[in-house]
Amino acid sequence: MKKLKLNITVNGQKHTLKIDPNLRLLDLLRENLHLTGTKEGCGIGECGACTVILDGRAVNSCLILAGQCEGREITTIEGVTPEDGLSPLQQSFLDNGAVQCGFCTPGMILSARALLDHNPTPTEAEIREAISGNLCRCTGYTQIVEAIQAVADGREEQQGSL
Amino acid sequence: MIPFNLERAESLEQALEFLDRDGTEVKIIAGGTDLMVELREISPGEKGPGTVLDITPIDEIRGIKDDGSTITVGALTPHREISSSPIILQYAPLLASACSTVGAAQHRNIATIGGNVINGSPAADSVPALVALNAEAVFQSKSGERVSLLKDIYLKPYQTDIKDDEILTAVRFPRLPEGATSSYIKLGRRNALAISRMNVAVVLVIKDGEITEARISPGSTTPTPDRITTAEELLIGKEPSEELFRRAGQAVSEEMINRSGRRWSTPYKEPVIAALTARALGEAAGEGV
Ligand SMILES: Cc1cc2nc3c(=O)[nH]c(=O)nc-3n(C[C@H](O)[C@H](O)[C@H](O)COP(=O)(O)OP(=O)(O)OC[C@H]3O[C@@H](n4cnc5c(N)ncnc54)[C@H](O)[C@@H]3O)c2cc1C
Ligand code: FES
Ligand code: FES
Repeated sequence: MKKLKLNITVNGQKHTLKIDPNLRLLDLLRENLHLTGTKEGCGIGECGACTVILDGRAVNSCLILAGQCEGREITTIEGVTPEDGLSPLQQSFLDNGAVQCGFCTPGMILSARALLDHNPTPTEAEIREAISGNLCRCTGYTQIVEAIQAVADGREEQQGSL
Repeated sequence: MIPFNLERAESLEQALEFLDRDGTEVKIIAGGTDLMVELREISPGEKGPGTVLDITPIDEIRGIKDDGSTITVGALTPHREISSSPIILQYAPLLASACSTVGAAQHRNIATIGGNVINGSPAADSVPALVALNAEAVFQSKSGERVSLLKDIYLKPYQTDIKDDEILTAVRFPRLPEGATSSYIKLGRRNALAISRMNVAVVLVIKDGEITEARISPGSTTPTPDRITTAEELLIGKEPSEELFRRAGQAVSEEMINRSGRRWSTPYKEPVIAALTARALGEAAGEGV
């Protein structure tokens, strides 16, 4: 295997790295950059725990080779978390009981973030559709939808720490 | 993950050059949503591709064009872009519907129509819609261009006639005729994430209360994707009615058994594809009246 040179921006920070050609984006984030907020569940694109934002769109980082991300921009859960405190979306998840074991939460937050970035006033159906690739074994989804709705409605913005 | 080399093609020419020259087994990667799962399933020690060729930087084979009669969709166009394209929504809405049902948002954002076509799953969502649109597949190699009716590239499930030195550059199809209506229905086992077991795309042209053109293209039904002309012919010259559409659905399930024989799945598939077809025809006719 020939090592590859990769220029990639993660959470606003530029990196130049030498990587193995068979490295997944998920491994690059977790192993090389120690950004362990991104989770691996199924590893085959079905659970959404590994969701990150690639050039503005939610993707499964387990299905992308790191080497395919030359010159591209990635946002992970660490990148949407303020220095101190939580983002309105994160706060809303807590306030609405949308976090139980928390394994699905980073992926959920990033799917929700990508949705709200493109569609700030989604319907409930649009919210459900946007998170349909994110499985949660604990909450039953209702609280998650409510948490996202609260941010879209501007309710959480006022209560949240940001 | 098994070891392999990764090459990035910056242009179509460079990619074709590479495919022509390279001696080792090369696998093309686009969105990777099928290929990454496949690579992961190769166990250490088993033989995998020596090289994976990333074609995603090739902008010339991405995007949707309409020249006034023919619509060309670049192979690298992701499902999300197709399902929201004003051109597709106006002139081939059944393809927009089909692409909107592929996986979840995370898949549609990167998974390409070219990957869906070449992967060749019998349940691939874009394929029945493309077959109903009479689409062609456009391949390119160092030695030139090859164009084939899309339905004719399929040899068997998960296998097309693409050559080792070829890239699928586009699919293209005529705009639906004036006054045509269409429908795409997918039966998924679970809402957004099920790879559909059955689906159907239909097109109808109804003039003065009479059906003048009909296309019926079911997925996961025949050994390779095709229109079911025996069912289509039943409809021509007739007035749309529930009973007529029920008979056309019946004709589709009969043709399925003619071509595929009876199998363990037949007792399930037979009524399902008949009912789906009848429903899709009803939807298309309903749009038109
Ligand atoms: C969880 C999950 C759910 C899914 N749900 C659905 C679903 O509901 N419906 C559905 O239809 N599919 C579904 N899929 C399958 C997959 O997402 C689609 O088939 C997708 O369109 C594949 O495109 P890709 O760009 O990701 O292909 P890739 O994985 O990059 O490639 C697929 C195959 O095509 C070849 N290839 C790709 N592009 C070209 C080209 N231009 N020229 C030549 N060869 C090429 C590759 O070598 C490979 O063999 C699902 C997949 C997952 C993981
Ligand atoms: S780990 Fe990527 S989708 Fe499950
Ligand atoms: S909170 Fe446990 S999986 Fe969602």
